[in-house]
Amino acid sequence: MNSQRVLNGVVGVLIALIIGAIIMLVQGYNPILTYQALFQYSLFGWYPFATTLKNAVPLVLSGLSAAMAFASGVVNLGQPGQLVMGALLATIGGLYLDLPPELMIPGLALLAMIGGVLWAGVAALLRQWFEMSEFIVTLMLNMIADYFTVWAITYPFKDASAYSPMTPQINPKGWLPLIGDFNTTIFFMIGAVVVMWFFFNRWKAGYEWRITGQNSLFARLGGCDIQKNFMGVMLLTGALAGLAGGLVVMAGPHRFIKGLGANYAWDGVMIAIVANNGLIATFLYGVFFSAIQTGALGMELITDVPSEIAQVLQAILVLVIVASREYLNATLEKVAARRRARIRQT
Amino acid sequence: MDNLIEMRNIIKVYPPNVVALDDVSVDFREGEIHSIVGENGAGKSTLMKILYGLTPADSGEILLSGKTVSFHNPGEAIAAGIGMVHQEIVLIPQYTVWENIVLGVEPVRSFGRLDVEKAQQLVRQKIDEFQFNIDIHARVEDISVAARQKVEILTLLYRNVSILILDEPTSVLTPQEIPQLFNELARLRDNGHTILFISHRLEEVLELSDRITVMRKGKKIATVEASQTNRQELARMMVGREVLFLSRRTTQSPGRVVFHIENLNLRASDGRTRLKEINLDVRSGEIVGLAGVEGNGQFELVNTIMGIQKPTSGRISVDSTDITHAPILERRRKIAFVPQDRGKMGASLTADIVDNAIMTHHRLNDQFSLWSGLLLNYPFARHFTDVLAEKFAVVMPSRSAPFRALSGGNQQKVILGRELMLNSPFILLDQPTRGLDVGSIEYVHDQILHMRSEGKAILMISADLEEIFLLSDRILVLYRGQIVADIPVEQTSLEEIGTLMLEGKPRDE
Repeated sequence: MNSQRVLNGVVGVLIALIIGAIIMLVQGYNPILTYQALFQYSLFGWYPFATTLKNAVPLVLSGLSAAMAFASGVVNLGQPGQLVMGALLATIGGLYLDLPPELMIPGLALLAMIGGVLWAGVAALLRQWFEMSEFIVTLMLNMIADYFTVWAITYPFKDASAYSPMTPQINPKGWLPLIGDFNTTIFFMIGAVVVMWFFFNRWKAGYEWRITGQNSLFARLGGCDIQKNFMGVMLLTGALAGLAGGLVVMAGPHRFIKGLGANYAWDGVMIAIVANNGLIATFLYGVFFSAIQTGALGMELITDVPSEIAQVLQAILVLVIVASREYLNATLEKVAARRRARIRQT
Repeated sequence: MDNLIEMRNIIKVYPPNVVALDDVSVDFREGEIHSIVGENGAGKSTLMKILYGLTPADSGEILLSGKTVSFHNPGEAIAAGIGMVHQEIVLIPQYTVWENIVLGVEPVRSFGRLDVEKAQQLVRQKIDEFQFNIDIHARVEDISVAARQKVEILTLLYRNVSILILDEPTSVLTPQEIPQLFNELARLRDNGHTILFISHRLEEVLELSDRITVMRKGKKIATVEASQTNRQELARMMVGREVLFLSRRTTQSPGRVVFHIENLNLRASDGRTRLKEINLDVRSGEIVGLAGVEGNGQFELVNTIMGIQKPTSGRISVDSTDITHAPILERRRKIAFVPQDRGKMGASLTADIVDNAIMTHHRLNDQFSLWSGLLLNYPFARHFTDVLAEKFAVVMPSRSAPFRALSGGNQQKVILGRELMLNSPFILLDQPTRGLDVGSIEYVHDQILHMRSEGKAILMISADLEEIFLLSDRILVLYRGQIVADIPVEQTSLEEIGTLMLEGKPRDE
């Protein structure tokens, strides 16, 4: 099973890169030089690799959020909203709190998670009380969160000296420090992957989440408390998405700038789908997608290829991997069946 | 008679390595009723699906009237005159009989408008031709299962099919409905149609067929003339050893009442009454069989007992504890439950065997807890799975294999083992042997009888009357949501229960 997944990933990535190369050739670019530039600015070298990892943090965290939710049968599509709410709460904390860094940093991370939890909690409670589908509710809450945060940084928390909507910088004690080229934000990411894997595969509740995601009626008849589990998953995945937002602020611009959420959360959802909701796979694909996005910016500096090619590559990657997953499995099984049939015949 | 169809050296392997058909060659003659018998998993259905173009063979060839054919889909098979009626009936419930029959090949007038009169006339013609007694304007959801089966057959006859494949058509019928089906099939044969009849019920096969092909574990054992064989011989060929058709139930007097239902009513959200004034007791050391045609409230009763549906009124108690409104986990402390649908209710097919084996135990047995219940004790869970597999003779590739990699019989053993190891005073069995082969059925029956001798109270719902008679101490009949009979097994007969199932009351003499 595992080796098949790795094979699927490697084959998918290779095919996607080849299709990307063909597109570049058609447009008159040199694909080899382009890929060389792309990976030179994202993977080869400590600084590019550190940047790739740092950029991967919001992708991986929101991807984990989506993967955990989907694998548990919870349709949390509210990562974008939970992310900006987490970022806003962390920013507000960073503006008004003044603690030593060893308290300030965990404190702001906690606030970010609380932001995500509160926003996911709204959807969870609406389902609990009124049986409203979390699918539509989380999607709608994204829009509310989006405009609410824009309002917050345009009026109450606006940096008076700035010309566009943004908050002032947060207290430098809440900035995530660098270790060499590496931003410490990546420890949060690695920590989250490890902790989530542990929850999912060692916790009793994690066992129930997994089974509920695969067959909720079986879990229910087996005595699992479906409602409680739903609430737990919703809040936990909300916390992950919120943390993603907080870390973006603390590691990067150190303030909430309009458009800060960008496409991180939707990319994260996409990565979860590509990873088939596997937690480790989400981490690996997250880093790879980040490498493409990060490298594209560098590539644009030294080649004529526009950085939009990164989005084209990403899209091809998603389509190829998702499309080939079932096909590859079916093909491998068919080959095995043929072989058996031939052995029988002789 | 000439061979109409010849299937030669058919091999079919289901990925990754289940050999469903192992070099099977068989021929069918024009105008005969040819039965294919075998246990579940013997390959009968697969063989027919290959003939019908539903699934491709990995090697071998098919000859129709001497010409090699290969159908890539059922449409091609129907065009060549071969049609199949499946176990599960696939009609549109909201459509009328005639609408279902013409669907897909409707006569049309200009601009593609449906020619209603012509369609009805054509359908009526077919019904008259074969003397099927059926109202073409009835909606399919309102007619009986037997009538639906007729509609399926008519759908094929309407398409001028001359070879009919029927996959276990009697499994959904009551004893009284079967002779009528057989009459119709015989009439079709006399009209020159060829009938291929899949079954594992030997008496009916002997009664109906001209020739019988026996299959076992993917191999053809023999094709025999029905007039020159008997039930014992067929059973021996089918199973590979002597089979006893005897009850192994010992006499034993039941103890105190363990499971008790009082005045239970259930009205569905659409206002229809699903369960009406159900009163039911199951005593310790007693097996109560609940008979009934499917869809008469069995599903709702199970759901209400298990806490999936809330009753409108009434009381359910186990061991004199009221569980009418208890959360499911509380019920599970006292109720072991083997559902009829393994993949939907009894297991997660994609999860591994360990994950399936420990369900419910993980909350009720403290040995599964670490860190005061926060963590699941996986080493113990694996050990527990091994114990279960050993105790219930589960054959599995490895503990970490996905559940669906197990055969149906082994899946059922895991589920049964899991539930019986809960050691609950009350056991609810919903069609515990559905879809199992003879060997597995015997095994499950032995386990159920063993639980009876240990003093468990057992309520068994089954559509298989033979099973009910083999195991039960008392038989209840569920008819339109009501229990219409409660009779000790010694004082009743298959015919009496069959009548009660169909009509809800004893037949007037």
